[in-house]
Amino acid sequence: MTRAVGAIVKREYLQRVRSRWFVIATIAGPILFGGIAVLPIVLSDAPTSDRLVVIDRTGELAGAMAPALTGIGYQVERVDADADLADFIQAVHDEEVFGVLVLDSATLRRGAARLVVGSAISPMREVALRQIVGQGAIATRLRDEGPELLALLGGGVLEVDRLDRGTEVESADFALAYFGAFLLYITLLFYAVAVMRSVLEEKTSRVIEIIISSVRPIELMLGKIVGVGAVGLTQLGIWAVSLVVLAKLGLPRLTAARPELEILGELGSVVPGVGHLALFLAFFLGGYFLYSGLYAAVGAMTNSDQEAQQAQAPLVVLMVVPAVILPGVIQNPDSVLSLWTSQVPFFAPVLMFARAVSGAASPLEIGASLVGIGLTTVGVAWVGGRIYRVGILMTGKRPSLREVWRWVRVG
Amino acid sequence: MNAPAIRLHGVTKRFGDHTAVRDLDLEIPEGTICGLLGPNGSGKTTTIRMILGIYGPDRGTVELFGGSPDHRRRRRVGYLPEERGMYRTMKLLDHLVFIGEIRGMRPREGRRRGMAWLERLGLSEWADRRVEDLSRGMQQKAHFIATVLHEPDLLILDEPFSGLDPINQDLLESIVLELNARGATILFSTHLMDQAERLCRRVCLISCAEKVLDGDLREIRRAEDRGDLHLVFEGDEGWLATPEVATATRAGEGWRLTLAPGIDPQRILARAVEAGVEMRRFERVEPRLHEIFVRHARTGDSR
Repeated sequence: MTRAVGAIVKREYLQRVRSRWFVIATIAGPILFGGIAVLPIVLSDAPTSDRLVVIDRTGELAGAMAPALTGIGYQVERVDADADLADFIQAVHDEEVFGVLVLDSATLRRGAARLVVGSAISPMREVALRQIVGQGAIATRLRDEGPELLALLGGGVLEVDRLDRGTEVESADFALAYFGAFLLYITLLFYAVAVMRSVLEEKTSRVIEIIISSVRPIELMLGKIVGVGAVGLTQLGIWAVSLVVLAKLGLPRLTAARPELEILGELGSVVPGVGHLALFLAFFLGGYFLYSGLYAAVGAMTNSDQEAQQAQAPLVVLMVVPAVILPGVIQNPDSVLSLWTSQVPFFAPVLMFARAVSGAASPLEIGASLVGIGLTTVGVAWVGGRIYRVGILMTGKRPSLREVWRWVRVG
Repeated sequence: MNAPAIRLHGVTKRFGDHTAVRDLDLEIPEGTICGLLGPNGSGKTTTIRMILGIYGPDRGTVELFGGSPDHRRRRRVGYLPEERGMYRTMKLLDHLVFIGEIRGMRPREGRRRGMAWLERLGLSEWADRRVEDLSRGMQQKAHFIATVLHEPDLLILDEPFSGLDPINQDLLESIVLELNARGATILFSTHLMDQAERLCRRVCLISCAEKVLDGDLREIRRAEDRGDLHLVFEGDEGWLATPEVATATRAGEGWRLTLAPGIDPQRILARAVEAGVEMRRFERVEPRLHEIFVRHARTGDSR
């Protein structure tokens, strides 16, 4: 028996991991995922030159702004206060300098400055420059008020004092919660559907009858689920390792070479810690076993891809609900809605993970949801196993719900 | 004396309102070749699936090698279903090794024996090709290899030779006989009566969920013998119109006669002499399995 189940697990695993599609999906997944987040920033605008000429007619503004301008990647060149703007136009045309920033009394009064550039600049750069100009003006005007007031310009510091958990500093876990929960949703759906397709393939190719003449249906189902799940873990493992390598090695180099991309540094905070990885793993496995049992039953009930598409609709709804309310749960992880929906076993893998990473769920809640998922999985496996056992040998028209119920009862 | 390879006693299986098999008794001794015959939808596949423990019977008992068809005993069976398939994207040899593994073989052993069989059936060049690249005939042979790879004690073959050309049919037939000679029990269902006649020692005929005939093929033929004659003669056939001949039908270059009850064939010979025809051939014929099948299957339908 163990050898037979082992052979089934091995076959499912090797056939998939060796396939072209696995390689493509493993490589394309992060590129697609990361690309959506990163590419627009990287591609936005690479300036032809990073030299920025600053003509400061007031003589006091440039000093306040220069560090910030340098900070976003400009090489600041301060010229005489009475320099003629026209002298630099040619240099801008020739792309020797990126642009000329003219600061005057209007800047000091109401933060209005003039920027002369060769062509369009990206909205992000514009916003950054406007902030620097505005803050520079304020800083200059508040200079005499003392350094404490200037610190206010930095945005302040918020210390969150939670009565239920003691003091902790708000972190960038929200990004991780969102990113991780979304990844959970995608991978759960993908691999559960893979189980369904695998069941369907055995059914439509008629190989099933040969297999179950030697192996019990439940063993086949189990071997299949474990094998496909192992493929999922392999893929997630590859992604996790490459994410860590990218963030720890790649990102610092990128931001060092292109300081204006410093915003990407934020992505570094998405790199999960061991605890987060363990949470992800637990909810992936729980959700996967739960959903793959259901999808295996759907595969066994149907005879073709089209039929399966229709029959899986209720399951898709079950999976989409948490994805839809996910943003709300992340924003208000302590709301009543978040509390209860994250305990529904079918939603918990995505929602409880998000709440846990957001720091809103206590270990007890996390444990309770995992137990709930586990118990539901046992129930699903029992029902799904019975449907599977009868369904895999059924051909012809798709059974009605009443017939499926009879399979479960008689099984 | 060993327990029979297969023993069914009073087995009934229903699907909803439909009775697929009714009160079936069947015993197949070890080492025999038994044909399981019957029209489409008569319950053959259901019977086979119960023998393999894929279905449990609603009533009655099923014994495989003297015990319940648990997975240990099922390992000793090589089953070639009528609805058979392979993993299309797997390589041929990998597929064979996998089927061997789920029946308890080590991968290395499966690979070695699989390759030997592929060579014997002329498929060795295809070992590393995907199953979907194989022609239908090649796939049939590959299915056969998958069935016998683990050297089963009992072969259950459901329409084993469909889709094969006569040369490959003969090849597989000879292998089946060879495996039988080495001790394997063989149960196979077929619609090809000639083939069943050639291969089977026993037959079991099922019609409309019930067994209508079961036993040694020679004995059945003897029991079914109605004293039919095969005649070839020169001259007018008018003399055949006598009450002593129940039916006379053209058969090849001669005639097939069924006699009225209680008529001695010698009477017919005397009639021929009286009529002055020149008799070329005059022989008693035992009924062909084909006729027996048609006779009983039809009876079954009208019941």
